[in-house]
Amino acid sequence: MSTEAQSAPRSLAESLRGRDDASLAALLRSRPDLITPVPTDLTQLATRAGTRASVVRALERLDRFALQTAEALAVAADPASYDELLGLLAGDDGDPVVAGALPRALGSLREQALVWGGDDRLRLVRTARELLAPSPQHPSPTGLGPAVREATAGMSPGRVQEIVATAGLPSTHDAVSAAAALTALFSDRVRLAALLAEAPEEAHAVLARLVWGPPYGQVTAEPAAHLRWLLDRGLLLPTAPGTVVLPREVALHLRGGRAHRAPEPVAPPVEPGATHGPQVVDSTAAGQAYTALATVEELLKDWDEGGPAVLRAGGLSVRDLKRTAVALDVPEPVAAFWVELAYAAGLLASDGEADERYAATPAYDEWLEQPPADRWARLALAWLAATRTAGLVGGRDAKERALQALGPGLDRSAAPEVRHRVLTLLAGLPEGASPAADSVLGRLRWERPLRGPQQEDDLRSRLARWTLSEAELLGVTGRGALSAHGRTLLGAPAVPEPHPRAAGPGDKLPVHRRPAAPPEPLGPAEQAVAAAAAARLLAPLLPEPLDHVLLQADLTAVAPGPLKRPLADVLDVLADVESKGGATVYRFTPGSVRRALDAGRSASDLHDFLTAHARTPVPQPLAYLIDDVARRHGHLRVGAASAYVRCDDDAMLSEILADKRAAVLRLRRLAPTVLAAQSDPATLLEGLRAMGYAPAAESAEGDVVITRAHAHRTPPRTAPEPVPDGPPAPDATLLTAAIRAIRAGDLAATTPRKQAPAAARGADGGLPRTAAAETLATVQAAVLTGEALWIGYVNADGAASQRVIAPVRVEGGFVTAYDHTADEVRTYPLHRITGVAELAEDET
Amino acid sequence: MNGPLIVQSDKTLLLEVDHEQADDCRRAIAPFAELERAPEHIHTYRVTPLGLWNARAAGHDAEQVVDALVQFSRYPVPHALLVDIAETMDRYGRLTLSKHPAHGLVLTTTDRPVLEEVLRSKRIAPLVGNRIDPDTVAVHPSERGQIKQTLLKLGWPAEDLAGYVDGEAHPIELDEDGWALRPYQKQAVENFWHGGSGVVVLPCGAGKTLVGAGSMARAKSTTLILVTNTVSARQWKHELVKRTSLTEEEIGEYSGTRKEIRPVTIATYQVLTTRRKGVYPHLELFDSRDWGLILYDEVHLLPAPVFKFTADLQARRRLGLTATLVREDGRESDVFSLIGPKRFDAPWKEIEAQGYIAPADCVEVRVNLTDSERLAYATAEAEEKYRFCATTATKRKVTEAIVRRFKGQQILVIGQYIDQLDELGEHLNAPVIKGETSNAQREKLFDAFREGEISVLVVSKVANFSIDLPEATVAIQVSGTFGSRQEEAQRLGRVLRPKADGHQAHFYSVVARDTIDQDFAAHRQRFLAEQGYAYRIMDADELLAEG
Repeated sequence: MSTEAQSAPRSLAESLRGRDDASLAALLRSRPDLITPVPTDLTQLATRAGTRASVVRALERLDRFALQTAEALAVAADPASYDELLGLLAGDDGDPVVAGALPRALGSLREQALVWGGDDRLRLVRTARELLAPSPQHPSPTGLGPAVREATAGMSPGRVQEIVATAGLPSTHDAVSAAAALTALFSDRVRLAALLAEAPEEAHAVLARLVWGPPYGQVTAEPAAHLRWLLDRGLLLPTAPGTVVLPREVALHLRGGRAHRAPEPVAPPVEPGATHGPQVVDSTAAGQAYTALATVEELLKDWDEGGPAVLRAGGLSVRDLKRTAVALDVPEPVAAFWVELAYAAGLLASDGEADERYAATPAYDEWLEQPPADRWARLALAWLAATRTAGLVGGRDAKERALQALGPGLDRSAAPEVRHRVLTLLAGLPEGASPAADSVLGRLRWERPLRGPQQEDDLRSRLARWTLSEAELLGVTGRGALSAHGRTLLGAPAVPEPHPRAAGPGDKLPVHRRPAAPPEPLGPAEQAVAAAAAARLLAPLLPEPLDHVLLQADLTAVAPGPLKRPLADVLDVLADVESKGGATVYRFTPGSVRRALDAGRSASDLHDFLTAHARTPVPQPLAYLIDDVARRHGHLRVGAASAYVRCDDDAMLSEILADKRAAVLRLRRLAPTVLAAQSDPATLLEGLRAMGYAPAAESAEGDVVITRAHAHRTPPRTAPEPVPDGPPAPDATLLTAAIRAIRAGDLAATTPRKQAPAAARGADGGLPRTAAAETLATVQAAVLTGEALWIGYVNADGAASQRVIAPVRVEGGFVTAYDHTADEVRTYPLHRITGVAELAEDET
Repeated sequence: MNGPLIVQSDKTLLLEVDHEQADDCRRAIAPFAELERAPEHIHTYRVTPLGLWNARAAGHDAEQVVDALVQFSRYPVPHALLVDIAETMDRYGRLTLSKHPAHGLVLTTTDRPVLEEVLRSKRIAPLVGNRIDPDTVAVHPSERGQIKQTLLKLGWPAEDLAGYVDGEAHPIELDEDGWALRPYQKQAVENFWHGGSGVVVLPCGAGKTLVGAGSMARAKSTTLILVTNTVSARQWKHELVKRTSLTEEEIGEYSGTRKEIRPVTIATYQVLTTRRKGVYPHLELFDSRDWGLILYDEVHLLPAPVFKFTADLQARRRLGLTATLVREDGRESDVFSLIGPKRFDAPWKEIEAQGYIAPADCVEVRVNLTDSERLAYATAEAEEKYRFCATTATKRKVTEAIVRRFKGQQILVIGQYIDQLDELGEHLNAPVIKGETSNAQREKLFDAFREGEISVLVVSKVANFSIDLPEATVAIQVSGTFGSRQEEAQRLGRVLRPKADGHQAHFYSVVARDTIDQDFAAHRQRFLAEQGYAYRIMDADELLAEG
């Protein structure tokens, strides 16, 4: 940065001190974790910027070239000069593109306080160096091995001297200077080339295999001649018995000085795959937007009368998802997307009843009332901001638990950022251009590479893929290209600025200027404004709801477009939907007509409704169908009654009905000779008797029930199982276990304890109690001495016990110890240990 | 954005027929979409893989299909559907069947993994021979049909470039004296000839026999004609003698009674599928001559064994004729894959509009069961229920009333149950033709009916097909084979021959209300309703009161 202090800084803190406010602000913006909480001074800031967690976070957010630069610095000398760094990245032959891109990459590393120092003394923050430098456990992406100095550190001085001698160097007086001499030889291109020229043919093949990493190889105890040749000259150095490594300097020599096989200084461009007319894109997207609305509506209508049950662990069962997918006529992953979308938009939720089910929320009803474009905007907003990712549904989490739609474990905090980034990349293309998914993924991978080996389906790539398909489903894109309303949704102008690459074929190296920073996601308020603007653009593209249908003699009705709400609602009841899409085909069946009649409509209502909304005359078979079903509808009546009164004398029944005292029995006349009652037969009998009648009870078969005092009986019951005297005889396994437990308990209770401070004793015979610090100190001491301890321990259920343990190690708040009581090695959280006491010296 | 077509997500296409661009649109989508329903306002087409592949075979590419959809569609076409169409069409032609000079019939591929995939299938393995090179495998010539059918089921249809044998030449000319092939018949012949093999679908009474004759005149070779029964065989012979240069002597009949093999031979399905001791003794008929053309009449009735023989005949031209390619057994796709794709299809109402078939008034008369019948119906065994309600006594009264109303016209009464028909025959004082009626007797009665000596004829299902009774104007159906859609259409077809005086035909279907009869009737009528025939529904009381 240009604001460096005049004198070279000696530490990161000092270099931070030399930065101006803007540059510090840039640092804090890119690494927000540094100011939570706000550090007290720059020294603290520098310390915090050097912590492992923070550095890992910062490294993970670097683009590929910045990361490669950092990796190169990690394998360079510390400090390294700018030229050394450039050499590592561009190689001995130089590369104008790399040279052009390096200042930007270095600038971004400096801005993020990962690198400090002037161009002559570039220093990578120590933690970053440790993270990125190659080690046998964590091979570097550069594929380089340790430097000669590191690799020879563990070798016997005599062996080192032999190597130096064989390599044709004068012998030195100590190992350090010997390593330095070897390093000098290996770093000298001319001398090393001369040395290698003498190497046997096979040795070259071995080197070629190791040069791009991994640099480690296996050798037998009796290496072949060509390997011996290499080993004797230090071109391969042993690291462990049977393992050799190619020293970093040699690898760099063979690579022509490059730290990376393929430096990627330039972000891969997002190539437009196909181009469609903007109109086609917009109208396709609008069509899909409308489908999205219809689908969400259909989904919630489907769940209107009691949606699926909530699993105990939360979420939708696989079967319910399958059923929903069938109902929506979409594949399951798509169904999961719609369900999650409705959930994210607050349109559906669990009802929180005892028997928990999913259902639409009151917000859904409000949503239904809004104009279509606003409804879409709400869905789109929810989608953009959601961290829940439907794409994960059907997969398994780290603990191999299935991930369910609407269930826990679907949140991925990177999702909104990736979504925004993907859409922004689409927005960067000319109007109507749809990119190949792979080029988008390639670009994303460049912008935020994974450290370590590259995988095809890392989370970000999967998120990006899902974003592309979900954007299409939601109608943000049409035929893969960002629509005008989609652009507006991002807060970008509806028509893209002229594409920079359109300048001409010669403009192939546009990379030296720093690309404009990717636009930041909008704040919630701005996002809402953008969504409203998008809705305004979308509104005219959505089909106008119709108020008519075409009726046909084959008992179908075709709605040649979306229908106005009341009309659609009635038709949904009156007819079955046969086919969906731009239009809807309905079929009238006796069942569907009956459903409408059940819903309280009369035949003449239905005739009027059809006449009013049909463009064509109502076909005779349809009119006949309605009348025919209506004729039979309600012919049979079904109701519930608890008891009945039957009497051949109509007059007596009229009399009972007229009697005020009968009101409590809630009688209703079903036929001249039958009354139905809402009270049970016993109450009815009693009531009638109280009124002075003499009713007789009737059985289900119609016989008069003779009542007389009869013995009360239970329903069928089985006789009780005999209870033997005492528990069953224990088997051998149980016995052994019991004895072991008894012995162990015995040991814990009887081992005489050292006279501990009174406090540790607790109530007599109770758990030992000691202060936390003392517990820790005692346990640690026991680890060193290997002694057994007597502890009081409270388990997860709150049950206290005493145990005798021999601690093995103490780390991270846990004691790992051999438990004499349980006869195995166990781990105890320190905070659960009430206290410790040393065992008294053996008195026996 | 205001086209006549609406593309649905389930791959049906809705065409608004009253739209000004409807005709253009119909022409554009006809090559790849099947007309499924043609009621009065909106016709439904369906896009199927088979249809798309046939379009590919006919030289249309995915671009054209997508263009047709996008151009005429009222709403944006779902992208996924377009992608699906392109992908489906792309599967065609990866495999080709062709003649190899040295190895005979071979299956070659342009995409080796596809060949590997299909060869790995258990069903393909027995049909192919040696691997000639990585992209070619030999196919047993006799398995040409089988392998095509199997590949189709695997989703990798093979393009058949192996061609046809010409067969033994035999001069046949149409004898267009005082008549000519109608435009649609000509079109059907042309489409068939151009496509090589296939099925022509024309309404009953629209002159399918003439399409057959026209095709024979194009082929000019020996022809084997397969028909449903002997009466139909005689009618074919009669018609061919009348309409073509063929003479009686050139046409042979191969049936239960006669076994003549002549340049043009007409055989019945029945005789071909006769099985003695596990073998089909009459199969050699297929090999008895070098047939240049094989004609399947009423191809929707093709019995299962004939499917198998047909598979072996892939090198010969095949023409299937039918009015209703709906099979209740769902084997339509076998017809398409073995005989050939649909080459011509005309909606019934279109032919009617051109005046080649008579307009028909379809009426469903609902009769009530009497109270005692209702009780008996409710307690009847499940398998007896249909018979019971279909033969209710009230139907007789209604039938008599209709016969009275159309006194003087030629009336057919059609039914399923012999008892019912006998009873009707007695009451109407009309002769009954049923299975046991001898062929001679049948022909005598049919002749008498054609001449007008008899005005009412009661027939069982033997008269469902191919019986040419041009003078019948009224058909009364009292019972049928459960819910068979094609039977209903065929029966309507009996009265659709254009009338000399151009007047309307009447089709009455008498149905017992609130019974299984009514459900079957609804199913039976579906095909015709989808062809645009609107049934009127009447109550029997209404009709009896009028009559």
